[in-house]
Amino acid sequence: MKINSWYISSFLISLVVAIPIFTVFSSFFENTSGSLEIFKNTFLYEYIYNSIILLIGVLILTLLIGTICAYLVSFYNFPGVNFFKWALILSFAVPAYIYAYSLTAFFENYGTLYSILKNLLGEGNYNQSIPKFDGMIGAVISISFSLFGYVYVLTRASFHYQSENLIEIGRNLGFTKKKTLFSIILPASRPAIVAGLSLVAMETLSDFGAVAFFGVSTLTTGIYNSWISLDDLAFANQLSFFLLVFILGLFFIENLSRKQAQYHTPARGRFKKKEKISLHGFKGYLASLVCFLVFFLSFVFPISQMFYWTLKFPENLTSLNTNELFINTLYLIFLTSLVLLLFSFLSNYGNRVSRSKLLNIFSTFSITGYAIPGIILAVAYITFISWFDNTIINHFNLGSFKKIFIGSTLGLVIVYFIRFYSLAFNGIKTGYEKINRSIDESSYLLGYSKLKTFLEIHIPYLKNSIFLIGILITIEIIKELPITLILRPFNFETFATTAYIFASQDLLEAAAVPALFLILIASTFILITSRYILED
Amino acid sequence: MRKLIILFLFICSNSISAEVNIFSARHYDSDLELYKKFTEQTGIKVNVVSGNDKALQKRIIEEDKDCVGDIYITSDAGRLGAFESKGMLQHANWSDEIKKKVPIIFRSDSWVGIAKRARIIFYSPERVNQSELQNLNYESLSEPNWKGRIVIRKSDNIYNQSLVSSLIENNGKDETLKWAKSLVTNMARSPKGNDRAQILAVAAGEADLAIANTYYYALMLSGQKGEEQKNAAKKVLPFFPNQNNRGTHMNISGAGLLKFSPNKSNAVKLIEFLLSEESQKHIVNNTYEYAMLENISPNELVPGKDLDFKQDNETDVKLYWDNQSEALKIMLLAGWK
Repeated sequence: MKINSWYISSFLISLVVAIPIFTVFSSFFENTSGSLEIFKNTFLYEYIYNSIILLIGVLILTLLIGTICAYLVSFYNFPGVNFFKWALILSFAVPAYIYAYSLTAFFENYGTLYSILKNLLGEGNYNQSIPKFDGMIGAVISISFSLFGYVYVLTRASFHYQSENLIEIGRNLGFTKKKTLFSIILPASRPAIVAGLSLVAMETLSDFGAVAFFGVSTLTTGIYNSWISLDDLAFANQLSFFLLVFILGLFFIENLSRKQAQYHTPARGRFKKKEKISLHGFKGYLASLVCFLVFFLSFVFPISQMFYWTLKFPENLTSLNTNELFINTLYLIFLTSLVLLLFSFLSNYGNRVSRSKLLNIFSTFSITGYAIPGIILAVAYITFISWFDNTIINHFNLGSFKKIFIGSTLGLVIVYFIRFYSLAFNGIKTGYEKINRSIDESSYLLGYSKLKTFLEIHIPYLKNSIFLIGILITIEIIKELPITLILRPFNFETFATTAYIFASQDLLEAAAVPALFLILIASTFILITSRYILED
Repeated sequence: MRKLIILFLFICSNSISAEVNIFSARHYDSDLELYKKFTEQTGIKVNVVSGNDKALQKRIIEEDKDCVGDIYITSDAGRLGAFESKGMLQHANWSDEIKKKVPIIFRSDSWVGIAKRARIIFYSPERVNQSELQNLNYESLSEPNWKGRIVIRKSDNIYNQSLVSSLIENNGKDETLKWAKSLVTNMARSPKGNDRAQILAVAAGEADLAIANTYYYALMLSGQKGEEQKNAAKKVLPFFPNQNNRGTHMNISGAGLLKFSPNKSNAVKLIEFLLSEESQKHIVNNTYEYAMLENISPNELVPGKDLDFKQDNETDVKLYWDNQSEALKIMLLAGWK
């Protein structure tokens, strides 16, 4: 085995990403106080129970919404189908915690729905007849509507590539449409659906904002609380173990399904364009209604609530320093995208030129950062930096480097890097797989150096991938809350932290303005990329 | 040229040293306006990181001696006490002026209250009769006539933990456990939502009594939550319990001096500024808390705006931390969600 710079750089990236995992486990072997010893089993049971119920609720809801919408827009023509095709992915712009604010404000006692009913029907005691979506139900709904997009996009892509031949077989066998759906289309798309659902499941388990807002104690909030407030590291360890088992399991399933899903991409020549079935009359409107309902609930509803508040309390709009928030957000996006793209290129290119198995293992390992909840990642990072500084740096009398890494833009970028590296790495990887290796060889034959091949051949080929990844990172960073909140420098706010801070003062009305900006900016970026995301 | 360089260096050194860094878990926008005023008056720049209480504490603890923070601001004495017990605050040698302004039960050696709030009872005048309100104490909330009529938020909430800590101090553990068990049976629903949601539940007829902090009610009356909530608040009335004995449960928002504060004198200046009449007026009119200074009257919208209620001036708020884990244990044992 040749040790060259590719190995070293790939190894270093994996190491950086592995830090939180090691820290989560190693720091938990210390002894703890535990004044609440007697309640531990109750807590553990409650956290696991809540996490499972939340997971089941969200998975069922996202499976239904995601596949039904994907099925309708892929196989049928009905009024508005071309609009819904991309409108449904706008739900990605609404983070679960902001959905949670809207849901609560709309249905609470004397909330927005109450006002609407009062204005329509006159005075009355409507509070008791208005359903209350809070606690677990609220969390399930908020998370489902902000995440169903994963199932929708992946399932739709797999439907899209399903060869017409496959469907014709069904028809030739005399299958009804229903039987074709359940016996052919869905089984063939199973890997894509499972991949979408495992992404949803991972994000659900990582969620902090929405569950904390609704007071639902899950494994993630449990770890956070026992780690930070109760100083009960042993218990936090126990909980982390359960959470990581859950999450790594999902991660594994997702990766496996992704691989399987590739088998279903048909070779070019045999791809026969699907004939969409036109739905007329009642059926057509029903399909439109279903899609509209999903679009409405996932996007129009939260954004209307925010608009309503912004119009009702316009002073909140003028008092907010939107320019500064915008510049801060852009600054983070620019730095993080640059670093992420640079390193993703480095390790993908390294993998390509060295064709080493070991290097591949390193890279696979380095994308696991995505599986760790942001809030735990941030705390683990601080703990690690502190430990490293206190032991190693101190040992060599090198002064202290904490200030450089905690409460600085650098620190933020590093943790974003760990969290979103898989997004960038996988994106570049997919792009690279499409470039035939013989192109590299021709380039070498022409006397191009490796660097020149990279700069003049690969980069132009991968332009679209770079663009897409840049925008996906942008959307994630605009929405990111827990890491930014814990690690940001002095006097530094983003739209997400501002919305959170207003919300925690019980001023959801004022949180509406930054939330609205956040959603609108993210939506703009989603629209720009919609043609890539939808792979038409 | 040399003069210019010296001047430049002077400006640089000045602009570097004249600052104060705040970690704040009490993030009111109005606080930022106050800091701006402070900078205008003193030339000392104020830098702020705000966030969740626990996460900020974790960051400060891990940054340790490299932490550039000077002041830690948060609401609830229980939180300040918790942080002090971790050794993250330092003795501040409060000036005589501060000692005179802030009663000893509202400060420790390393933190000081800057505003007060009361945790009181809100009732529906339609469904609660005057005789039930007579001599109502926190202790009476365990009585059977309140069965299924009370709303209060969860036990993980610090305001509730501090209230129960105070009850432990005044009535002992055993009595408080009995009290908490009965209170749980008196609850109208499983605890959920924040303090405002409890007041709204009474307005909407879900319950007859709510326990909540005073400023939430003023916030609703202010119209910042819209016309409906303003009207809803009017359907509910505040009641100050324990008027014939120790007085109503009081708590504070406070500022602590961080252990490794690099700008200690500026930090103390800022805390003194927060306790000036000007700042106290600003605070009462924006956050609807009570002033720490006796001569500043509360905002018109706040319950007890004439300060004609008896405050508990005997129970030291430092005890809220001392009894905190016991309080949480009692609440959990009582089945308080």
